[in-house]
Amino acid sequence: MSLEKINNPLNARHWIGHMETDYRYTLGVAGERFLKEIKENARIMGAKCPKCSVVFVPPRLYCEKCFTKLEEWVDVGKRGEIYTYTITTIDVDGKKLEKPQIYALIKFEGAHGGLIHRIGETEKVYIGMKVEAVFKPPNERKASINDIAYFKPAER
Amino acid sequence: MFGKKRVAIVGAGVTLFRRNLKETGKELAYHAAKMALEQAGMELHDIQSVVVGSAPDAFDGVHMKGEYLADGAGAYHKPYMRVFVGGATGVFAPLAGWWHVASGKFDTCLVVCEEKMSSCYPHPQYAFTTIFDPILERPIGMNLIWIFALEMNRYMHKHNIKKEDIALVSVKNKRNALDNPIAQLAANITVEDVLNSEIMAWPVQRLDVSPTSDGAAAVVLVSEDVAKEVTDNPVWIDGVGWCIDSTHWTNRDLYYPDYVEYAARMAYKMAGIKNPPKEIDVAEPYDPFDYKELHHMEGLLLCKKGEAPKLTREGVTQRDGDLPVCPSGGLLGVGNPISAAGLMKVCEIFWQLRGEAGKRQVPGDPRTGVAQAWGDLMQYSSVIVLRR
Repeated sequence: MSLEKINNPLNARHWIGHMETDYRYTLGVAGERFLKEIKENARIMGAKCPKCSVVFVPPRLYCEKCFTKLEEWVDVGKRGEIYTYTITTIDVDGKKLEKPQIYALIKFEGAHGGLIHRIGETEKVYIGMKVEAVFKPPNERKASINDIAYFKPAER
Repeated sequence: MFGKKRVAIVGAGVTLFRRNLKETGKELAYHAAKMALEQAGMELHDIQSVVVGSAPDAFDGVHMKGEYLADGAGAYHKPYMRVFVGGATGVFAPLAGWWHVASGKFDTCLVVCEEKMSSCYPHPQYAFTTIFDPILERPIGMNLIWIFALEMNRYMHKHNIKKEDIALVSVKNKRNALDNPIAQLAANITVEDVLNSEIMAWPVQRLDVSPTSDGAAAVVLVSEDVAKEVTDNPVWIDGVGWCIDSTHWTNRDLYYPDYVEYAARMAYKMAGIKNPPKEIDVAEPYDPFDYKELHHMEGLLLCKKGEAPKLTREGVTQRDGDLPVCPSGGLLGVGNPISAAGLMKVCEIFWQLRGEAGKRQVPGDPRTGVAQAWGDLMQYSSVIVLRR
């Protein structure tokens, strides 16, 4: 076999190229409504399937189980529970972060699914921990998932 | 019998798996395909159809990778298609090859999987950052390692599994890879080495993870009539299964891959397997992370939910255990050129069932084996059952 191992990719004769393509992603019908609710009303909404009796968070236009179009939206509250989490210590380049960052999957009572987000104002974290959304001030919100600054431990 | 024709594998080939290889993707595909044809005792003109499996275009950096790889895969002037189901591609590609032959349309099909991840420079992690939902997840800054960290953490929490037990998978597979001539990360390491390795996104540490790699693999599929002509020991594709879970990974329970179970049940039903742990002699579940081997053993119904760490601790999954798992060395030891890694597992089962695995050969004259791959956003599973 003529396969040759190269420890440094720059040691093989090569040509540097790019695949530069930029994108504009529309938020979509359900996504725009969901993020507007966060921006304008600081509310986290779910979409209810009347047939499956499931509230989807994040909300969407249709039920993936039965294909019913989802019309009924419900406020699932800003408090949730940590379903699982990770503490990241390096970035995508493998460089050490200045400070470890906690990310968690947060699930909301009575809802199916959840949101992935940062956890702040605490170094302690555990599965089952109650947390609540901290919204940015209204004038800083842009209808983005980052209008929620992070989730913090919820007061008892 | 399912389909019009029974389908056999009659030849297999894999290239070296390495972080950086000089060869282009096409050249890697050519080497693997040529080796598979040589083992089958066939020439390119004997091949009637070609299937290529390759993961995102962003790795090789060519925005029509199927067409780009076609000549290296032996597809010139032939019916040809590329399949892509994320990390599950490597076992999905021979399933697509199976359709070609089982349908009766073709008597032979060459299946080639290739990945050249080193083209994506400085690191293919950048390609992985664009696999997430652009509205809800990418703005948070998602990267691949932490969704696995989230899944691993939930799995550990649900069954009260210790990291020490998960680390045993990495120790086993890297050691198994010492006997595999193509392996990239073969090593004799200890549980302590894994537990002391760099924390990437807790609970995931450096030695819990497979590397990025360049490499290719190939198999030759033929109908029963052709198999009788070219070999005395064909390996039959007796079961195929595939399934996708919810596109929203936040909607899954994360501790049990039920979509793996659905794919496995589909394949087992076709193969007439009723008691997988008893009837399967050797298994190659997908192991890009050490906990994933355990997850997938459970999804493949090789043990009860939460029981895979115990079997690992007791040595059941060692090469000389009752149920050898990843005797090749797996992705953790051999390397992970995504689609080629999945097909490498099919090649390994093929060689194991023919008694051709050399120092990696599992004892006890294995007759039935299963290989599985997994991909997309922790949601796709492809399963193949092979018998001799």
